[in-house]
Amino acid sequence: MQTTFKVYRFDPEQPKQAGPASYVVELPDSASIVDGLTVIRDEQDPSLAFRANCERGSCGDCALRVNKKGVLGCTTRITDAIGKDRIITVEPIRHVPVLKDLVYDMETFLWRKVKVVTPWITPQRAEPDGNYTVSEAKIAEVRTAMSCVMCGLCDEGCTVVAVDSEFVGPAALTKAYRAIFDPRDSRHSERLKAISEPRGVWDCTHCFEANGHCPLGIEPTSRIFEIRDEAIRQGIRSGVQNPKVRRHYDSFVKSVKKSGWLDEGRLAIESEGLLNLPGLLKLLPTAARAMARHKAPIPYLHRRRPGAKEIRQIIEKAEEGKP
Amino acid sequence: MSYAFYPGCVSRGGCPELYPAAVKVADKLGIELQELTEVGCTGAGVMSRDLSDPINARTFAKAEQGGFSTIMTICSTCQGVMTQANHRLQNDADYRAQINKTYLAEEGLEYRGTLEVKHLLWVLMEDYGVDNLKAKVTRQLTGLKVAPFYGCYLRRPSDLMAPKGFGGRKTYLEELISLVGAEVVDFGGKSKCCGFPILTANEENSMRMVSDHTGEAKDKGAHCMVTPCPLCHLNLDGNQPNAAKKAKRAIGLPILHLPQLVGLALGFDEREMELQRHIVSTEAATRNIKVNMLS
Repeated sequence: MQTTFKVYRFDPEQPKQAGPASYVVELPDSASIVDGLTVIRDEQDPSLAFRANCERGSCGDCALRVNKKGVLGCTTRITDAIGKDRIITVEPIRHVPVLKDLVYDMETFLWRKVKVVTPWITPQRAEPDGNYTVSEAKIAEVRTAMSCVMCGLCDEGCTVVAVDSEFVGPAALTKAYRAIFDPRDSRHSERLKAISEPRGVWDCTHCFEANGHCPLGIEPTSRIFEIRDEAIRQGIRSGVQNPKVRRHYDSFVKSVKKSGWLDEGRLAIESEGLLNLPGLLKLLPTAARAMARHKAPIPYLHRRRPGAKEIRQIIEKAEEGKP
Repeated sequence: MSYAFYPGCVSRGGCPELYPAAVKVADKLGIELQELTEVGCTGAGVMSRDLSDPINARTFAKAEQGGFSTIMTICSTCQGVMTQANHRLQNDADYRAQINKTYLAEEGLEYRGTLEVKHLLWVLMEDYGVDNLKAKVTRQLTGLKVAPFYGCYLRRPSDLMAPKGFGGRKTYLEELISLVGAEVVDFGGKSKCCGFPILTANEENSMRMVSDHTGEAKDKGAHCMVTPCPLCHLNLDGNQPNAAKKAKRAIGLPILHLPQLVGLALGFDEREMELQRHIVSTEAATRNIKVNMLS
């Protein structure tokens, strides 16, 4: 099949000339994007730089943006990627510092964030003689996360990384999940506390973009929800430096416990902190605008809904169930 | 056509114009709503699911007890949280039995797993039907350029929110805008996060999302935006002045609730839809609607 590739080219020595270059190549229908790039490099332009390694979707090296979608280049066939215009555009993934053409700096994009979550297991005790056995039931939870190849496509699609490169991101949080839920690890609580600090797990909008962008079905957003639930079970509702997150959570639960539904006025005030005068003053312009339109919820004067008592009992019972 | 109505907290709190607009629209269309009055907040993705799943199971059990097969929501977040909870409860019989036994039995309730939860947008497009809705339009909103904004939880996770056979849900909002005679302004941010869930954790990032999305829609020529999610509305409308200030640009993009847009096309006027309660004035936007009464 004759295919036109539009490949992003960037030479750090001539940055002003960066942009797409067209290549027409003859490929079998079964060819992958990496196959196409390899033919271009071998037959037309040996200066084309791209990363590829295993060519079977298990190393994560060839994460690329193909026709505006983040994919693994080796497991994406040209027949699946090609658009109506018969052109395949290949670019580096978003939010990365490009080094040359399709090669980008993974240290800045991902590795430094993965290091923050100490992605290795610290066992509870010294390695026993023979095998360290863990039951299937206990390891099943983390097996999916263990298959992560760190391609970074979840970060590429992340709604927060798009506006804040310092957010730890779904890939590193998935790595954290893998250790937090591994029965052999002895630092679950410390790990949860570490990722609860600013730019950590509580900065995630839980928008589920990461689930859709992961090529291996690991569902990073779902893993993040499990981390949050586990943190709350352990009484960790924020880090040391972002107590507002804890105050917000506590006020939310208190409100639902009291009236069955959310007292938004109370939530705004208590999230700032009742004694935090600068924080409370900061709310005033927004509150004044809402008041002018008769839509500012009046805090604490919140009508108790029928059923509030039963809802409170449910919450109290669920809270008792915490380990 | 009868639904158990779950209006959510925000439609009577921070966005009190949403509740009456939704009820008026449903009434005009002949969609019968019976409000679930004794049920709790969904947890909004904030509360731990250890707490919110039993509360949502109780809501589902109450709706089942009332003889309903479907709950209708008017909030993408309520819709998403309830769909996810319902998925866990329907697909894991042991989990449902444990929730029933531990939390609901005392009140004499049991969730049997029969409920479906549908947002008003889905109800309009799937149950009420495009042709029936078209027949009810008395005021084509010709001349109005509208950018759609879904709210994450109405789109994702996609296997739950737009499962096989329901792929059309990804474009319902655009279809609805066209159906009422307005012009769709497509833009990249339409299915992104509005930033509201991290307003507390990282206000700067949250505001950046508001200015990025409203700014992009404005730059593409939108007169207004429409959203099926009141939490998105709180951020995109209520915090738009703060976001614009941080972004050092003027935006001024009015944000309409879904039922308000539909209501205008059904012949309700701006005051009946309570557009005057929005933070970003809607007056300039609605002036673009050409006078073209069909009946």
